[in-house]
Amino acid sequence: MNAVEMKNVRFAYTKDTWVLDGVDFTAEYGKITLLSGMSGDGKSTLLSIICGIIPNMTPGTLEGDVTVAGRDVRGMKAGEISRLVGCVLQNAELQIVQSVVEDEVAFGCENLAMPQEMIEKRVKAACAMMELDPSLKTRTLSGGQKQRLITAATLAMGQKIVILDEPLANLDKEGTHTLMTALRRLAGRGYCVIVSEHRLDMVLPYVDEVWNICRGVVRKVEDKQAYLHSQAEIISDGCAPYNGGRPVLTLSGVTKKFGRREILTGVDLTVYEGERLLILGQNGCGKTTLMRIIARLEKADGGKTEQFIDKKLGKRRACRRWFREVGVVYQNPNYQLFMPTVRREIEFGAESKEYADEIMDMFDLHSLASRHPQSLSEGQKRRVSIAAVVASRPKILLLDEPTVGQDYAGLQRLTDVLGKIHERDNNTMITVTHDLRPARALCDRAVLIEGGKVVKEGGKELVKEYFTGEE
Amino acid sequence: MTDTFHAKNPVYPLFGFFAALLIFAAGLATAKHTEGMWYLLGVWVWFLLFGYWRSCLVIIPFAAVFSGIFAGITYLSSHETAATLAAVSRSAAVCLAVLPGLSLPAVKLTRNLSGLHVPRSITLGMMIVLSFAPLLGREIKRIREAMRTRGAGSLLNPKVFYRALLVPFAARIVNISDTLSLSVETRGFCTGKAPYTVYHPVKCTARDVIFLLGLVAGSVAVIVFCFI
Repeated sequence: MNAVEMKNVRFAYTKDTWVLDGVDFTAEYGKITLLSGMSGDGKSTLLSIICGIIPNMTPGTLEGDVTVAGRDVRGMKAGEISRLVGCVLQNAELQIVQSVVEDEVAFGCENLAMPQEMIEKRVKAACAMMELDPSLKTRTLSGGQKQRLITAATLAMGQKIVILDEPLANLDKEGTHTLMTALRRLAGRGYCVIVSEHRLDMVLPYVDEVWNICRGVVRKVEDKQAYLHSQAEIISDGCAPYNGGRPVLTLSGVTKKFGRREILTGVDLTVYEGERLLILGQNGCGKTTLMRIIARLEKADGGKTEQFIDKKLGKRRACRRWFREVGVVYQNPNYQLFMPTVRREIEFGAESKEYADEIMDMFDLHSLASRHPQSLSEGQKRRVSIAAVVASRPKILLLDEPTVGQDYAGLQRLTDVLGKIHERDNNTMITVTHDLRPARALCDRAVLIEGGKVVKEGGKELVKEYFTGEE
Repeated sequence: MTDTFHAKNPVYPLFGFFAALLIFAAGLATAKHTEGMWYLLGVWVWFLLFGYWRSCLVIIPFAAVFSGIFAGITYLSSHETAATLAAVSRSAAVCLAVLPGLSLPAVKLTRNLSGLHVPRSITLGMMIVLSFAPLLGREIKRIREAMRTRGAGSLLNPKVFYRALLVPFAARIVNISDTLSLSVETRGFCTGKAPYTVYHPVKCTARDVIFLLGLVAGSVAVIVFCFI
């Protein structure tokens, strides 16, 4: 018996606009099935149908047959389907309801009326599997740890069918390996695991079957390697080699604590004008905290931070003038978009309307010009937020996970545009990414953070060593 | 309810709420008497003895500002020292009455109510509302930061300021509430008669009974002293 079976399924959010059009899809027990495709092609829609979010909570027109664990899901409530299917949605941070890791993992088990002893066992096993400390406060976790937490909370519930929608979005190399190995073990025990993911290079070695979704139609991919090659090739660097420059920022002995947790224990780092610096490190190692200290959004507890961009910017807190020189692109684009149209969003920080037009050209945003930025897909929002910050021509550009949610074509385009702008403006780019594919194309120099310190410095070879383990 | 106020071992949640009502009522009733002040001091010490030291200390500056404002207003309007002291007493009573609630982690309250078979739609709704308050605080902080990074943080440009604050805030609230409800449903939560269990049931202990009895005795005593 197939765990999930869809026959001639059609779905439209609004009348007659079919997001899925005649989908035939199956997923078997004992296998990891990958669902891959471009942003906006219907991956999340298909998964939402399987786990009952559609049509129970997101309305629309649904036609065709959907069978989950041998049961026709028509007429079943999402709460009932959730007893058959475990579902890890996108945006882990927003799904957390409890303040302690242990309670969060136990929440689903309580809902399934498991006895206390069983919950205790499952909480321990799920936390160990996802390498989480059950006593930690949920609000102190990093983005990757939150993703692992929600995954642990779902796995603890023990349904035989598990769906994960972009589970690797915030996970580093180790986190990815931990998660995918755990899923492999589950498949070995007879579970059906369905994963939707853009980062094919990371998931393909672990999956048994690959399905591609394109413009609402799903097809099974027979040659995994050829597909991987077409979708996950390392993006090459189009920029000329870096010739060196004067220091623009120095950090010496920088420390930062949150409560009792020491995040940075003495970071020494010099950033040079016109370079592209890549910050590498595991989830929770303090990369984002370091970026925030550099951006003056966070104050270090100890150590010294100096800037040599402009004497007038001084040493004190960030002012409007500071952010004209230092552009910050957030991990989550929703915070930085507020104008009524994409065009006005880009024009807001741009020196002229002509320059805003040029930026919109480069980021391929003209087709979205009149749309409200908050109405776009997550991948499009990210493109707009980067374009809006870049439009103000900052001398230093800080990018925190700029490639999350981008499909391969979007990733290539984005990397290419950032490279062109870097060469033209000679800006200094500091990037944090967990994505191997664009990493080398965004880097002249890389630093590796471990134990709250910079432990290694190098060029593109360090990126290769970090991601692939090859020296 | 922020983590700053949480007690490590709070008293039985229902007793905590009963205690809050008692302190509020007795505190307000005896506000015009000197004994009322001593009663409130006694309650504060009682909380300290039962492990609420962190919230007892954190509440002091809040209570000082809160009672200072009300005392100031009262003195300016009445020019009477007795009325001013009564205003201080009332403000202190309110601050002490909110202490058991502030010190209680949301999960303890919901588990207590779930154990008493209060409908799950109420207990879960309560938990989400309680965890929503600090979440909103964090969201506003992040949005304010993001506004500054985009050069939209100045009050001198109110049109842009309001847009940059309200648009992401509204979008985030909708996004958070949508995702939270999806998350809760996909993790097996049902509002009907579906069975459920409580991982760590909250039980009433001798310590909780002593806490409540002490408080009741103190409240009765102060009312007797003041009015009989």
